[in-house]
Amino acid sequence: MPAQTVYMLRLSLCYLTLAVAIGSILLYHKVQPLHPGVWALLPLHFEAAIWGWFIQFVMGTAYWMFPRRLEGDARGSILLAWCMVAFFNTGLLLLIAGYFPAIEFLKLKAVGRAVITCSILLFGWLIWNRVVSYRNLKH
Amino acid sequence: MPRITRWFIKSGIIYLFLGILLAFLSELPFIQSGSLLLPVYWHMIVIGWVTQVIMGVSIWMFPRKRRDRKKTETFFSVASFFSLNAGLLIRFLCEPFLPFFAENPLAIFVISLSIILQLIGVLFYVAEIWPRVQSKKKRKKRSN
Repeated sequence: MPAQTVYMLRLSLCYLTLAVAIGSILLYHKVQPLHPGVWALLPLHFEAAIWGWFIQFVMGTAYWMFPRRLEGDARGSILLAWCMVAFFNTGLLLLIAGYFPAIEFLKLKAVGRAVITCSILLFGWLIWNRVVSYRNLKH
Repeated sequence: MPRITRWFIKSGIIYLFLGILLAFLSELPFIQSGSLLLPVYWHMIVIGWVTQVIMGVSIWMFPRKRRDRKKTETFFSVASFFSLNAGLLIRFLCEPFLPFFAENPLAIFVISLSIILQLIGVLFYVAEIWPRVQSKKKRKKRSN
């Protein structure tokens, strides 16, 4: 398992725990109101679950398991792969920070989504040629 | 495919079916559930189906902590399955009725139990899979 995958999978497990923890607060709040502002956590719950958990886990696993290249680096440029991991998680942190009302004016949500978009482009670039079958390859 | 993976996937398929059935039923004109069924539907799909399939497949496919370990069910994976599914079942049966029982001591107890079971289920899964997410080099070193 490459180091990039190790980082992505472990971070996705952290986001899974975070999403479930926030979800627990929201569920408890339904039956025993805690604070009127608790529902502001709902978008964080979504972002942590969808981007932090599923998408990151699937990207990390695909980067590891898809067929490797026959020439050059087995999984493409290692530098680009590290950029993909860094952009994805920096973008996600910016996105989550963007939901805090005190710093809403910084438009961090838009910046975060832009940085995540760069990461997805890199992921596409790295994985595109690995979506392949070597079954009919002539030796 | 280990037995625990089959349990996770089969339980996921049941939740997928129930989720889409719920979505269909809530569209019927004579069932006016408003948004009461919406969180149940979303969690059936997102946790019941997608998360459980990811959990089951990763427990099956990810490398063991050590190369010499046999592919048998561990305590963490079995406990994760039962705890998560018990928590989800309680949640799905109770959540649509919560607006009518807010601040009711019994409802608070049942929902707290569901929350604890779901949290424990996820934490057990993390405990199972975390040490298995490791580089080839580290795994080789551990096996020697």
